[in-house]
Amino acid sequence: MNIEVQLTDAPIAGQISPPASVGAHGAFVEFRGIVRAEENGQPIAALEYEAYLEMTLREIRRLLESLVERHPCLAARVIHRVGVVPAGEAAVYVGVISLHRAEAIALLGEFLDRLKQDVPIWKRRALPVAGAPNLKSELPASRPRAAMHSLDEAMAEIRSRCQPLPAVRAPLAETSGRVLRETICAREDLPPFDRSARDGYAILSTETREVFQVVDTLHAADWKPRSLQSGEAVRVATGTALPCGDLRVVMQEHVVRDGDRVRVLKQERASNIRLRGEDVKAGQPLVQAGVRLNAGALALLATAGCAQPLVSPRPRVAHFTTGDELVPPHQSPGPGQIRDCNSSLIRGLLQNIPCDLEQKHLPEDFETAWRQLDRGHLAQADLILVSGGASVGDKDFTRPLLERLGFEIIFAQVNVRPGKPLIFGVHGARVAFGLPGNPLSHFVCFHSAVALALARMAGESAPAFLRAPLAAKLNDEPCPRETLWPARLDWNAGAPRLRPLVWASSGDLACLPTANALIRVPANQGSMSQGAEVDFLPAPGMIFP
Amino acid sequence: MRVLFFAQLKDVTGCDAVDLAATSPLNRDGLWAALLEKYPALAVHRSSVRLARNCEYAEPEAVFSHSDEVALLPPVSGG
Repeated sequence: MNIEVQLTDAPIAGQISPPASVGAHGAFVEFRGIVRAEENGQPIAALEYEAYLEMTLREIRRLLESLVERHPCLAARVIHRVGVVPAGEAAVYVGVISLHRAEAIALLGEFLDRLKQDVPIWKRRALPVAGAPNLKSELPASRPRAAMHSLDEAMAEIRSRCQPLPAVRAPLAETSGRVLRETICAREDLPPFDRSARDGYAILSTETREVFQVVDTLHAADWKPRSLQSGEAVRVATGTALPCGDLRVVMQEHVVRDGDRVRVLKQERASNIRLRGEDVKAGQPLVQAGVRLNAGALALLATAGCAQPLVSPRPRVAHFTTGDELVPPHQSPGPGQIRDCNSSLIRGLLQNIPCDLEQKHLPEDFETAWRQLDRGHLAQADLILVSGGASVGDKDFTRPLLERLGFEIIFAQVNVRPGKPLIFGVHGARVAFGLPGNPLSHFVCFHSAVALALARMAGESAPAFLRAPLAAKLNDEPCPRETLWPARLDWNAGAPRLRPLVWASSGDLACLPTANALIRVPANQGSMSQGAEVDFLPAPGMIFP
Repeated sequence: MRVLFFAQLKDVTGCDAVDLAATSPLNRDGLWAALLEKYPALAVHRSSVRLARNCEYAEPEAVFSHSDEVALLPPVSGG
């Protein structure tokens, strides 16, 4: 039996592929043990699990190996959470593959009983529910929660909690930039028939003579099957369906035509025929599921007759700006005021990602803002972005706003600069981010977090860090936090390289027009020399448009 | 030998592991005697605790030697 065992402090994915098994199987039985929202009659927020790691891995494996002697299954996967597991989430997952259902169900049941007896995992404590959200309550005070997430932890949370939105069928003309959710295979051979690759004369492939009788003329759209005798030729154009098999085409440049006769001046080896199925065979995959549809993919889908592909939907995005100091770009700021640039930044960043964006400015007073929200409409939004109000201060409002809207806050700080006060919340399949007010923080958080969420919601494989050398020295003081450093990615003699841009503070705007990548500078690193290989995150569409 | 404590036993001993100086191999009673000398509060847990030696449940007649990793496992509650 193939056994896969995993202990993890990350949420168990909503969908897990069956464990690998050899040979035919007829059953895949899955079980998820969910943390209940109450323990001993008291409501709880979460359970904390502890494990004797090495022994747990061995004990689970040993248990399965002994059970399979009585219940002959083919493969099993066990995942158990450690650390804090919120109520409603799975603490344990078991998937079993077998030939018939009976043995998988029997093994699963016995395994779970034994797990609770013999595997060294403990529920360490129950975490009580903190004051449940109450619509009539005062503005909830901002409270620090959970330890600060590292960049990797934050990205892993986003990756695991953002699920692909349900796919839709859309007219081909409306699918550019969306992610294909089905693999499209060729319905027929391409080309669909043997056709001429030249303007010229089709003759039998075995002919050696020089003079032929022209018995027919075929145009590109003609379909006139017929047999050809030795000594006969058919006038054909490029793309013409050939009248029968076993032919070759003599280019018109190599013949002299005289009435209904044609003389071949030069014998060629090439057949000048594009054979049926030469490009694509019927049934062959043309565009794989998970591909973001570009012009070339659209052309291929059109060729294949796929007029209504199954694609990712256009997510509905609601973007709110906050802050009484903001005035629109066309107004002159009064004392203490600034022009709102984040609306333009977010709109621009979302331009290349198919979505339906609505933007609105909210007053700084929480209750006034709350009354202004069209919450029925907002409930339709797949993604909510709130600019500003995310840093610690009296006028904080993003977190209380999201909590009052029913979002569970997954993290409210990330150990990275700029962009530390990034908030991430989920509410069912809906996702929300609170973006720190500074434009550079916006830029960084968009690329490291929002773009990741949108990619996951679209059903695309998530963007990952790539590596390239620095084109110039990166000047920095060692910082205890990781840094996502704005950079310009370009090509030098065919190789990518990164030019670190100058920025002073997270409010710095000057580098934004040039920035198209983020260099990952490790914590406490300080300066990095020219030529050093660094991890970087490209702007969406930079590398694989 | 290295002795590991888990779950509530960490609260009892105030640590998650201790190095026991054992000059010669100890049987089950010998091990408990050494542990209780150091952590008397473990006594009430003795009846419910299972011992593991090198990541496997220890047989009743097991002998624990200098190079072993020993673990005290209170009743488990996974799943």
